[in-house]
Amino acid sequence: MPSDQTDSRLRAIIETSVDGIVIIDTKGLIRLYNPACERLFGYAVHEVLGRNVSMLMPEPYCSEHDGYIRRYLHTGEKRMIGIGREVPGRRKDGTVFPMHLSVGEGEENGERIFVGIVRDLTSQREMNTALQQREAHLRSIIETAPDALIVIDERGLIDSFSPAAERLFGYSAAEVLGRNVSMLMPSPHRELHDSYIRRYLETGEKRIIGIGRVVVGLRKDGTTFPMELAVGEVNSAGRRQFTGFVRDLTEHQKSQKRLQELQNELIHVARLSELGQMASALAHELNQPLTAISNYLQAGRRIMSMSGGDVAKLSEIMEKATVQSNRAGQIIRRLRQFVEKGESERHVENLNKVVEEATALALVGAKELGVKPSLELDPSYRRVLIDKIQVQQVVLNLVRNAIEAVATCERREVVVITGVEDGMAIVRVRDTGPGLAKEVQDNLFQPFVTTKPKGMGLGLSICRSIVEAQGGRLWATPNPDHGVTFSFTLPLAEKEGDDGG
Amino acid sequence: MTVDDATVFVIDDDEAVRDSVSLLLESAGYRVRTYESGRLFLEEAASLPFGCAVIDVRMPDIDGLELQDALRARGIDIPIVIMTGHGDVPMAVRAMRAGAVDFVEKPFADHVILDSVKRALALARERQRQAAQLAAIRCRVEALTPREREVMDQLVLGHPNKVIAARLNISPRTVEIHRARVMEKMQARSLSELVRMALAIGVVPE
Repeated sequence: MPSDQTDSRLRAIIETSVDGIVIIDTKGLIRLYNPACERLFGYAVHEVLGRNVSMLMPEPYCSEHDGYIRRYLHTGEKRMIGIGREVPGRRKDGTVFPMHLSVGEGEENGERIFVGIVRDLTSQREMNTALQQREAHLRSIIETAPDALIVIDERGLIDSFSPAAERLFGYSAAEVLGRNVSMLMPSPHRELHDSYIRRYLETGEKRIIGIGRVVVGLRKDGTTFPMELAVGEVNSAGRRQFTGFVRDLTEHQKSQKRLQELQNELIHVARLSELGQMASALAHELNQPLTAISNYLQAGRRIMSMSGGDVAKLSEIMEKATVQSNRAGQIIRRLRQFVEKGESERHVENLNKVVEEATALALVGAKELGVKPSLELDPSYRRVLIDKIQVQQVVLNLVRNAIEAVATCERREVVVITGVEDGMAIVRVRDTGPGLAKEVQDNLFQPFVTTKPKGMGLGLSICRSIVEAQGGRLWATPNPDHGVTFSFTLPLAEKEGDDGG
Repeated sequence: MTVDDATVFVIDDDEAVRDSVSLLLESAGYRVRTYESGRLFLEEAASLPFGCAVIDVRMPDIDGLELQDALRARGIDIPIVIMTGHGDVPMAVRAMRAGAVDFVEKPFADHVILDSVKRALALARERQRQAAQLAAIRCRVEALTPREREVMDQLVLGHPNKVIAARLNISPRTVEIHRARVMEKMQARSLSELVRMALAIGVVPE
């Protein structure tokens, strides 16, 4: 290769190199300084050529550099040459930056020279620092987060177990690392977990990843607890890992349960108070069959005491008394169901029957008020998933309100309607009363808002809570002619979907 | 089998109560008619046979008290027994003030309702007797001649024969004859009895 071609190639390399290239002589004076160096140190080529390279270093290197060269020339001990290391550089503006320096040795016109190749480490250093910071940050989150973090590999073995996880499950990280995560769950998941992972790896079908659900956790002491589990997937360097965030729901469920209990209690109290208001009418309603029974029996005794008591007549009287005692029993049965406290339980019920029964109870005393309620029941007899007693409480409340509303009006009609609308069962109670006053309309369902002199103003607000708790809605709309219609929806039992298991 | 020609009218909107009360009364020998509303009873009220009424206080449309008022407004003077339920006692008291004979609280022992009905019928009978008596007295008064009537008026005012003679400008002897005729026609054994009769039918002059 001709030497001028070599020269031009070398020049091109030096000119275009991303790394800085500096050549100094044995006195440390700069012989060559490439464009990359100009960018790196901020000095132009003419500012540095022939000057001591120590100008590109901060103290103490700056003062000692000449000594380094002298020592090398004297001893031949290579501390830098052929080794390379990270040293600080100094820019024209005085700022110092980290750089990687490798030094080689050569000869030029019989004189020894040293070639330095300089790489700026600033951005790499920054990246490293940022990476370290992020890692520290992440670690502090993992260490302090109230949610436990568990990382497993694709065999289900535990890679990482956060302090919160230690607190939650009662195991130390050392006890669980490398063991199968299924140890943290009760049966049947304990036995099936490996197959869950396998299925996911084979099919890619996500049943929990990115979805999250409430599952049961198993502590070291054998107790179980409800937990919310969210799982994410990490795919790095060809290794698949799954990260699980676990939140203890024990407290949450406890307070939810307590809330539910209080709500039920309130609903029960409201039911009792409703019945309390009906007490006189109910007593009257019971008194009628009792009176009839008493009369039939006394008449029977009189007939018997007469000589030649008519047996056919007596038998007829007995039958009549029996019918009346059944009538009394019916009233009491309806009442007892209603008064019983009972946990809130949802069952599939026949909506028409539920509404009919509640309306019958609400009609106690309505006859005296001259109110004629009528039922328009959905002929398809739909079934709903509800707490029957609570829904009857709503019907009772709405029908009694309606009866009260029409009692002083010319037209005294109350219609109870069942049907299906937009995939929900619907119950309407329509009256021909005076309708709602504007000021009441806006906060109709607020607690303690009432138009009744003796009312507490809790009825409708409780009704709304009940309906909403069953997944329905309760609202009121004025009728085009007279009065108002209260409507509420309930979920149809037929639509009950997958339970998520 | 009936003890007398009295009829008990039972008015109650509850069919079982109506039927059983009726049966109880029948077993005690009464003739009974039942009505399921005050309105139906009022329709027949003007031409009822002799008897008393047993009325439920709590009924739709016309309640027991309103029925009582309506009967009185039509001049139908039938004795009334009110049936009440629990807590209806204030209504029963109002019914008593308005002239009901009695009230019975449901449910009741047979003797309670039967006693009340008996009392009501006794009252009815007494009223019937009084009415008959008054009718008889009126009839007798009708039978008096104008002069005899004049003499009776003066007697009832308490005047002695002499004063009557002067007032009517007839002789005391004539007064005496008329007076004897009046006492005889009116079937009065004494002057005080005559005065009572006159007061009863309201023919006392000014």
